[in-house]
Amino acid sequence: MGPVVARLLVLDDDDGIRASLSLAMEDEGYLVAGCASAEEALARVAAGDLPDVMVVDLMLGGMDGFSFIRRVRPLTDAPVVVLSARQDKGDIVAALEAGADDYVTKPFDLQELSARLRALRRRVESAAPAEGRDVVVLDSLSGPLVLDQSAGLVRRGTDVVHLTVTEFRLLVELASPPGHVLSRQVLLDRVWDRGFFGDERIVDVHVRRLRTKVELDPSAPQLVTTVRGLGYRLDPR
Amino acid sequence: MSPWRAPGLRTKVAVSFALGATALAVLVALATHGVVRGYLVQQREASATRQAFADASYIREGLMTAGVPVSDVLAATSPPAGAEVLVHRQGQWYSTSLGAGADAVPASLTAAVGGGAAGVAWDRGPDGPVLAVGVPLPGVDAEFYELAVTTELERTLGVLRLALAGFAALTAGGGALLGAWAAGRAVAPLHAVAGAAARIASGELGTRVPATSDPDLVTIVGAFNSMVDALQERIEREGRFTADVSHELRSPLTTLVTGVGLLQRRREDLPPRSRQALDLVARELDRFARTLDDLLELGRLEAGAEARQRADVAVDELVRQALEAGGRSARALAPGGEGLRACVDKQQLSRALVNLFDNADRHGGGLVAVSVRQDGAAVLVSVDDAGPGVPPADRERIFERFARAGSRRSLPGAGLGLSLVTETVRSHGGEVWCEASPETGARFTLRLPLSSPTAAGAQAAGAGAA
Repeated sequence: MGPVVARLLVLDDDDGIRASLSLAMEDEGYLVAGCASAEEALARVAAGDLPDVMVVDLMLGGMDGFSFIRRVRPLTDAPVVVLSARQDKGDIVAALEAGADDYVTKPFDLQELSARLRALRRRVESAAPAEGRDVVVLDSLSGPLVLDQSAGLVRRGTDVVHLTVTEFRLLVELASPPGHVLSRQVLLDRVWDRGFFGDERIVDVHVRRLRTKVELDPSAPQLVTTVRGLGYRLDPR
Repeated sequence: MSPWRAPGLRTKVAVSFALGATALAVLVALATHGVVRGYLVQQREASATRQAFADASYIREGLMTAGVPVSDVLAATSPPAGAEVLVHRQGQWYSTSLGAGADAVPASLTAAVGGGAAGVAWDRGPDGPVLAVGVPLPGVDAEFYELAVTTELERTLGVLRLALAGFAALTAGGGALLGAWAAGRAVAPLHAVAGAAARIASGELGTRVPATSDPDLVTIVGAFNSMVDALQERIEREGRFTADVSHELRSPLTTLVTGVGLLQRRREDLPPRSRQALDLVARELDRFARTLDDLLELGRLEAGAEARQRADVAVDELVRQALEAGGRSARALAPGGEGLRACVDKQQLSRALVNLFDNADRHGGGLVAVSVRQDGAAVLVSVDDAGPGVPPADRERIFERFARAGSRRSLPGAGLGLSLVTETVRSHGGEVWCEASPETGARFTLRLPLSSPTAAGAQAAGAGAA
């Protein structure tokens, strides 16, 4: 086993899945912490054992996956991949809205889960304050909205706007360069590393979440605008 | 509508009403006619007899005077218009008109009067029915006859008959209309039931026939609604069962898939025989997982419950991606059909296409070619295989669940793939069928409606901008 690539939290109440996932992911170099209940996982994160990535089953006894994601979000921005037992599209959208970053449906292919996790980790790394690109000024009503790529964060005036890594990546893609329309498919490829059959609603849900954080009035977006039939565009002011 | 189609309920009821009304009207008309005619004839005979006796006594007075010739007496009488008076005396006939003679008087009447009794008889003359009254004149040794042409009675009866026939026809027509209306009223609640049944059949399981207070309809409405309740409950129970089974099966299946995936990564560490066994397990597990997926997808499609995620895509690109997703070469796609776009759920349709490719490989001796082309407002995707083709008798049956064309029973394949294709394509407003390919094999063609040109144009522009 090579060096630890990342700490992975696996939350699933099924012993078989948890054990086989732990084995497989440890094989890939993850340091895996398996939890059988949301309460246990939440306690672990609250105690300061912060994972880099999380794999969360939606159907759990006790607290369900949706509640877990909502409760864990204030504690960590670590990306969440949801395991959906049913291929129920409503469940998936609800999980994304709760704060999940991506999903796989059971029974999933090990390669697929690995690919999703890799894509998420790449996002974390690219969001890390390493790239030397400059500050982009975007908005100026209640203070300028600044995308500080070198610091890996977004500021409105002096306040830091809290974005998850996925939301940050989405904003970076839309801002390079600003004013350019990006189709859902392109965003899906660039941010989620999903191919032709990717679910475009992932993009829609994340754009919606991004708007609630960066728009002055999220119901009438001025900054991230929808271009009907084409995709999304960042309109700097 | 073919002319020999059996009449409907409304027609039958209307005809029955019309026949009943006609029978009743005819009966009433005949009775009325009989009574009125009898009365009128009796009245006419009475008045004719009165007139005849009056005229007869006048003539008798005249003949009492000896020596006066009969013709003079007759000339002095004034019979009413249209009537003639005849006198028979001593074998000689005398008449007020030139045309009338002995033969104008019915023989039965002359016989009766000859016997000394007055009488009345009807006869048919050249101008219509004739009423003849005969009176013996014993004192003067003569017989008196008065003949009256009763055309006015005939006319009255004619008018009566016409009126009665009109009345009967009106009654029959009215009966038919009443019957049609009544049948319509009686059948109207059935339309509500039929409409509800059609909506239920199209998937609106919440539909019920509105409650009614009509005691004649309460039973049928109640029975219908409770039947739908039972049906809905059963469908929901089956849906829940499928969901439960899926959940129960998916977790162990996920563990199996993950475990086998783990083993396959460490394939090189295994002895050759274990590797073979692992390959077997992996292949069957893949099939198991796909069958379960197909089954669940089919259940969702049939329930029609899923909110679909549709996107406007280039069909040839979708086919290319589906070929590659199934590990096949995109070279199987024949050139042509560029720029044809359809609004589809990419994942669902790709699954359907992969099922068709798999079907060609498993049952059809291998995939030969895939082609995309336009057909009016639709796009056709054809998948040709190299097999012996499907016999015409089996071409519909193979789309049923777990059906396989007769002789292929030993070949692998869950038999769910094609029914999933059918349901997917149907949910997209299209259809799929099997025919003979231009070569020897089978050709499966699916037809999808083209997306509207404006949406396609916007999408194409978007692809260009991106």
